Amino acid sequence: MALLEVRGIDVFYGEVQALWGVSFTVERGEIVTLIGSNGAGKTTTIKTVSGILTPASGTIEFDGQRIDRLPAHKVVGYGIAQIPEGRRLWPEMSVQENLELGAYAGEARGKRNETLKRVYELFPRLYERRGQAAGTMSGGEQQMCAIGRGLMSLPKLLMLDEPSLGLSPILVAEMFNIVREINSNGVTVLLVEQNVRHALELASRAYVLETGRLVLSGAAHELLNNPQVQSAYLGF
Amino acid sequence: MDFSSILPVTIGAILLAGLYATMSYGLALIYGVMRIVNLAHAGVIMLAAYTTLWLYTSFKLEPYLAPLIVVPLYFLLGMGMQRLIVRRIAGAAPIVSLLLLFAIWLIMQNLAYVIWTGNTQSILRPYTTRSIQIEALDLTIGWLRLGVFVAGLLTLIALQFFLSRTYLGKAIRATTQDRDSARLVGVDVEQISMIAFGIGIALSALAGSLFAMILPFNPDFGRVLMLKSFAIIVIGGLTSFVGIAAGALLLALAEEWSVGVLGLQTSLKDLVSFSALVLVLILLPNGLPALIGRMPSWRNKPTRSVSPVGSASPTGGGPK
Ligand SMILES: Nc1ncnc2c1ncn2[C@@H]1O[C@H](COP(=O)(O)OP(=O)(O)OP(=O)(O)O)[C@@H](O)[C@H]1O
Ligand SMILES: [Mg+2]
Repeated sequence: MALLEVRGIDVFYGEVQALWGVSFTVERGEIVTLIGSNGAGKTTTIKTVSGILTPASGTIEFDGQRIDRLPAHKVVGYGIAQIPEGRRLWPEMSVQENLELGAYAGEARGKRNETLKRVYELFPRLYERRGQAAGTMSGGEQQMCAIGRGLMSLPKLLMLDEPSLGLSPILVAEMFNIVREINSNGVTVLLVEQNVRHALELASRAYVLETGRLVLSGAAHELLNNPQVQSAYLGF
Repeated sequence: MDFSSILPVTIGAILLAGLYATMSYGLALIYGVMRIVNLAHAGVIMLAAYTTLWLYTSFKLEPYLAPLIVVPLYFLLGMGMQRLIVRRIAGAAPIVSLLLLFAIWLIMQNLAYVIWTGNTQSILRPYTTRSIQIEALDLTIGWLRLGVFVAGLLTLIALQFFLSRTYLGKAIRATTQDRDSARLVGVDVEQISMIAFGIGIALSALAGSLFAMILPFNPDFGRVLMLKSFAIIVIGGLTSFVGIAAGALLLALAEEWSVGVLGLQTSLKDLVSFSALVLVLILLPNGLPALIGRMPSWRNKPTRSVSPVGSASPTGGGPK
């Protein structure tokens, strides 16, 4: 049984439809990437899984349980963390407060101090800045804080929405290494990226979204050599 | 010009500012979490004043003890109001919540006319006029004025402690600063909205109850105070505790000085507040924080306490 199983979801913003019958799966322990150009529906897909949006039809199962009707604050307790596009930290709260609130839900709260220690080990930089208002940090630091906040909920599935957005090339490489490290510790990863080459090199499988529909899927290394993908996303 | 009165007038302004800050913080908290302006604020201040009077006339409860009943009562009332009425218009255009809460205020006001008539009331107790004399400074301070100041101040300090130290308080701040992110870590923002609305109403009610001890009131009481609350949050910024305290102090100083030191007629005192509101809106639409932000030497300091409302992003996404 797949960890995440999305079947035929249609999603609307008011009257406007953004996703048409999107289906995909993420297996336990995998890194799966979701790619597509601006406005393709990647963020919409991730927000629907996390419960910020509700699909008009279709189902989402996580770990064998239906989650598509649950509000976002309940979904996180099942073990799904979304790292939103653009970090979306609480800018006036300190780094440590941001991280601690990541453990707000369910069992994570009781294990907060332990998890916090592990997050600080993964991101020593955040430990140095723990008292600083999150909104005053650099983009890279904020991204680390956003990932750290997601890890604080002890997720089984970590969904990252364009973590490399606005980072320098060195930081992008570092960010991908961190994702790899998190995955090697047993966390399944669903990665949305504009940085298609990096994403395909990291992931085992990939899905391609175009204007709200899935148009292509397969092993990541195959998509890397797919002429269609190469011309559309890799600039060949 | 009367310079000898500077000290007593300034002290009077500081004492008044404590209550101003209390009532304004109620508005700001509700705005922060729900992005709505609580126009029923005035009605709550007025009803709480009558509740204080009623507790005294019917149960012989000393007015200075009334807040112990008024605050929890209005906290529950506020939560009920949010749950049954305000929540239904979440996500609608701002004008909808403005009109709704305006209508609620008018209903409160009309109820008060029916129940208590339009006559002006005041609560007079033996201690109402009692005061402390400080001979060395030639100063007289009313006990009650000092008392209501301390009560307001202690409440705000307790609230600050709650918001910065407890999980629930932090969830309220998180919801204010980014609602979707709060949902993503498991905060039930509907529940938080209800609690924040309850706290906001309780603060307005506390201010009303305390004002009832030092000012006369009628069913129209609260209107002027609400406009002053607007002036204060416009000056001080909506999300910042320090900003609101500063706004309250500035407004109280402007009012008291214009009368007590510059010799303006007392009847023109409120005019000073409203002119301040208009001036600030025109010259400094983002209030003190914007002014501070423009001073280069201040910019590098962490400005957590003075950042304007704009730091929180609007709630995006579809319905859920
Ligand atoms: N809050 C919203 N209200 C209405 N339409 C929206 C909203 N958010 C997104 N959309 C629309 O839904 C479609 C998919 O948007 P989405 O944000 O999911 O794209 P994306 O693939 O994440 O793009 P990007 O790479 O730019 O982040 C777009 O056409 C967008 O205009
Ligand atoms: Mg996106």
